[in-house]
Amino acid sequence: MDVLMKLDRITKTYHMGEITVNALRETSLDVFQGEILVILGPSGSGKSTLLNIMGGMDLPTTGEMFFLGENLSRAGDKRLTGYRRNEIGFVFQFYNLIPDLTGRENVELAADLVDEPLKVQEVLAEVGLAERMEHFPSQMSGGEQQRVSIARAAVKNPRLLLCDEPTGALDYQTGKLILALLVKINRERGSTVVIVTHNTPIGDMAHRVVRMRDGTITEIRENAAPLPPERIEW
Amino acid sequence: MSALNHKLWRTIIKTKGQFIAVVAVVAMGIAVYIGMTTAYHNLNASKEKFYRDRNFADYYFHVVKAPQQVTKQIETIPGVAGVTGRIQKDVALINEFNQRATARLTSYTLPMEYEINSLQLLTGRFFAAEGVAAQPGEQTRTGDIEVLVDPQYAEGNRLEYGDIVSIVAEGRVVPLTVVGTATGPEFIYLMKDAGTLLPDPTTFGVIMLSRERAEEILNLKGQINQVLITLAPGADAKRVTDQVEEVLEPYGNLAGYPRKQQLSNAMLEAELDGLRASSRYMPAIFLGIAAAIQFVIISRMVRAQRLQIGIMKALGYRSRQVILHYTGYAVLVALCGAILGTLLGLVLSSFMSRAYALYFNLPASIGAVNTQAIIYGFILSIGISSLAGLTACRSVVKINPAESMRPEPPKGGAKTLIEGWSWLWRRLDTAWKMSIRSAARNRGRFGITLVGIVFAVGMLVVSLFTLDAVDYMINKHFYQNQRYDYLVRFTAPVKESELLNIERIEGVQKAEPLLEVPVRINYNGKSEDDAITGLNPDTSLKKLADPRERPLEVPREGLLISQRTANKLGAGVGDMVEVETLLGIGPSRLSTIKIVGISNQLVGGGCFVSLQQANVLLQERQLVSGVMLKVDSALSAGLEAELEEMTAVSSILSLQKELDNFNKNLEASIYSISILVLFALLLGFAIVYNSSVISFAERQRELASLRVLGFSIQEVSGILLKENLLQSVLGVVLGLPFGYLMVKGYIGALSTDLYSLPVIIYPVTYVYAALGSFFFIIVAHLFAVRGIKQLQLVEVLKNKD
Repeated sequence: MDVLMKLDRITKTYHMGEITVNALRETSLDVFQGEILVILGPSGSGKSTLLNIMGGMDLPTTGEMFFLGENLSRAGDKRLTGYRRNEIGFVFQFYNLIPDLTGRENVELAADLVDEPLKVQEVLAEVGLAERMEHFPSQMSGGEQQRVSIARAAVKNPRLLLCDEPTGALDYQTGKLILALLVKINRERGSTVVIVTHNTPIGDMAHRVVRMRDGTITEIRENAAPLPPERIEW
Repeated sequence: MSALNHKLWRTIIKTKGQFIAVVAVVAMGIAVYIGMTTAYHNLNASKEKFYRDRNFADYYFHVVKAPQQVTKQIETIPGVAGVTGRIQKDVALINEFNQRATARLTSYTLPMEYEINSLQLLTGRFFAAEGVAAQPGEQTRTGDIEVLVDPQYAEGNRLEYGDIVSIVAEGRVVPLTVVGTATGPEFIYLMKDAGTLLPDPTTFGVIMLSRERAEEILNLKGQINQVLITLAPGADAKRVTDQVEEVLEPYGNLAGYPRKQQLSNAMLEAELDGLRASSRYMPAIFLGIAAAIQFVIISRMVRAQRLQIGIMKALGYRSRQVILHYTGYAVLVALCGAILGTLLGLVLSSFMSRAYALYFNLPASIGAVNTQAIIYGFILSIGISSLAGLTACRSVVKINPAESMRPEPPKGGAKTLIEGWSWLWRRLDTAWKMSIRSAARNRGRFGITLVGIVFAVGMLVVSLFTLDAVDYMINKHFYQNQRYDYLVRFTAPVKESELLNIERIEGVQKAEPLLEVPVRINYNGKSEDDAITGLNPDTSLKKLADPRERPLEVPREGLLISQRTANKLGAGVGDMVEVETLLGIGPSRLSTIKIVGISNQLVGGGCFVSLQQANVLLQERQLVSGVMLKVDSALSAGLEAELEEMTAVSSILSLQKELDNFNKNLEASIYSISILVLFALLLGFAIVYNSSVISFAERQRELASLRVLGFSIQEVSGILLKENLLQSVLGVVLGLPFGYLMVKGYIGALSTDLYSLPVIIYPVTYVYAALGSFFFIIVAHLFAVRGIKQLQLVEVLKNKD
């Protein structure tokens, strides 16, 4: 499989007041095109930091990050903005929708950013929100909000979909529906999906599972037969 | 409570930009309040003291001439407390540069103490009553006529002790020896008459001398031409003055007027009125807006710190303590603002006092620090701020500790009214939609900010308006209505044929005669003093206009009455009025004349008739009292010199010199206009900055989401700017007409009998005001969203709160 992203000995050090936190220590990882990659680890293991660096929201302190061969580890704000705009779709635990825009408008907002977006209505239908797309986030359930959030990420037709605890704020059934949606997008659109979670069973749906602890990768496991999300239990 | 105090302190440090902005608005309000109130009180106290010390007259009566003894008769009228008879007459003055000016010769009886409107000596010494014998060591020469002059004339013409000024009186040039400067309560604001634009010490001065000398110079042995009285407390002014006029009737009553209409006093009172009005409404605007801003800040703080308030309550703090904690923020703002404002106010008041000292001849200008204003300032500031704070924290009581720890429900987006117009809504981009809905969601804050901007823009219009009004007046007065270069007045009316002497002077291109007659116009039981000018019906050197600025022709028959007099009399076109001449020489004549039009002159007012009709009023033929000249500007210097030589000429008014004087005076007002503009800009800045900071803080999460989606910093900043512009553009659009209303209100509060600024605002002023507004809007916006670059995407998005 082709390498979409290459992370080479990435470290990330935060200075929080007088305390220095080593969030990532010399972490290397390849992300392949078209795969579903689940990064597992307890809180503080560095998994979100890794995801943020992958998404161009943060830069590594040392080490290199290549996206389709381009070194982005020293990129300026302008390049990173372009990178996020054209290549990345983000899904957060708490959705982060714009409260003053309806579901449809939230998706349009993202679609307007790229040259060749998918059709807004179609994407919304795909995530099952054709009926409720004219509602505001405050009028939606958590699951509905997360669907809008996925539609917003997907409408740009990004190469890489990054999801930070996408089911963290949802109930069990809704969580599974959301995961199924991510699998569907991976399968139908070919987007690479990286999911960060502390919820171990979610790893069962991935092509590969990465385990992290204390800022380093402790294990990379390939999953010969990923389970469909409907069959995962936690 | 000390932990809470620490928390308060840290909150202030964290929001220092907002804190400083709102402190600045409070400080401006307090500064304006203290500065203006102090200036008002000082000016008023100086005036009161001066009037009292110098026994300022309650009533003035002008007669042609009356024997000195008539004052004894008036003294016996019940209700009259004091009487002074004197001679006052305008004479031509030849100054150092051999230029014609007017001197108001005023006589005094020594010793001064018993006189009404007595003099206060400023420099030098009092004049001697008679021609004095030389004392050893003194410069005085036997036979010298000693005089005092007003300080501004002395300064304007660099006169010193012992200098000689020459006047033309009764056809003779009379040298006078200056022995000092003095001022009196009627000379505080020195203008020749209400028709003059501004004081001009180079062309008008007061010369004070002994009664004996005045009688001698003016050939008025044992005579007076003015009677001044003071009223006994509780006297019926109307009855007393009627009786005085009866006594004076045989001597040619020319004018009788109360203190209120005395020019200097009226000008001073007008200034005081304006100052008092401004000292009330200006601080009210600033403090009102400061209170609104504080309300917004504290409401938002309480909302944002809901969890902390819940924790405090869970720990056992009472609602009252929590409320006091948040109100403490407002009290601190008020204290800082009041302290800063007091310091600024003291500077402002000394600045204003100095400006007033330039305009008003007040010897005992009181420079007191107005403790009362300072105390009121503190009370006002703290009171208003506390009120705003307490109102904003009401919701603290309702916060339940357990509930506060649960996450707040998501902000409710909702459809707005505009969405009903789908043709418009569909054309708006997403950023505009966000802004409009966000504004609708935060209606209170939006409204408060909007009102604030409206006031700031209005203030900008008001500040700039003065320039327009003055420019308009200059243009009208100097360039449109007055087409002559010189207005020459004679000491007494002459036959029209004598104008040939002037027409013959080299450089005169055109000369048109005029006859000015002071009159009293009676109509329907009411009477008003005014002046009638007779002009040639085909005059080309003077343009007349009606109140709607349509040009008027000088009628061959009938009267063009001044708008002011018409209003006072309640007379209109077609009415017959009785005109009584008050020329001062010869008997006064009565005639009836029909009003054929209403004339509106910005400066000086005045009524107009044809030259022939003016002669008819005086029952004379072919008399003229002055001439308007259009000259070849290259030859004007020689022409002026030649005119100066003519003793029959009492004054030469050069339009160019008047304009120069006007422009010089205008420069002084540039300072106050600049201060006003600066204050308006600061006010606008503070409002927009505050609202932008809050909006930015509340929406960090949204903005971070947008950044993650791939919006650039400029695009995100643009979204915030759109929201900002939404309220700002609306504020400017409403603020411009509001400014016009403020100007109208301001002029309404100021208008005096003497003059009124036209409510003229040029379109370009609105453009400037709008540009100024967008300047403060953009600057405030850029200041408020500085943090956008530092927006920590990861940090902001990671946590739910």
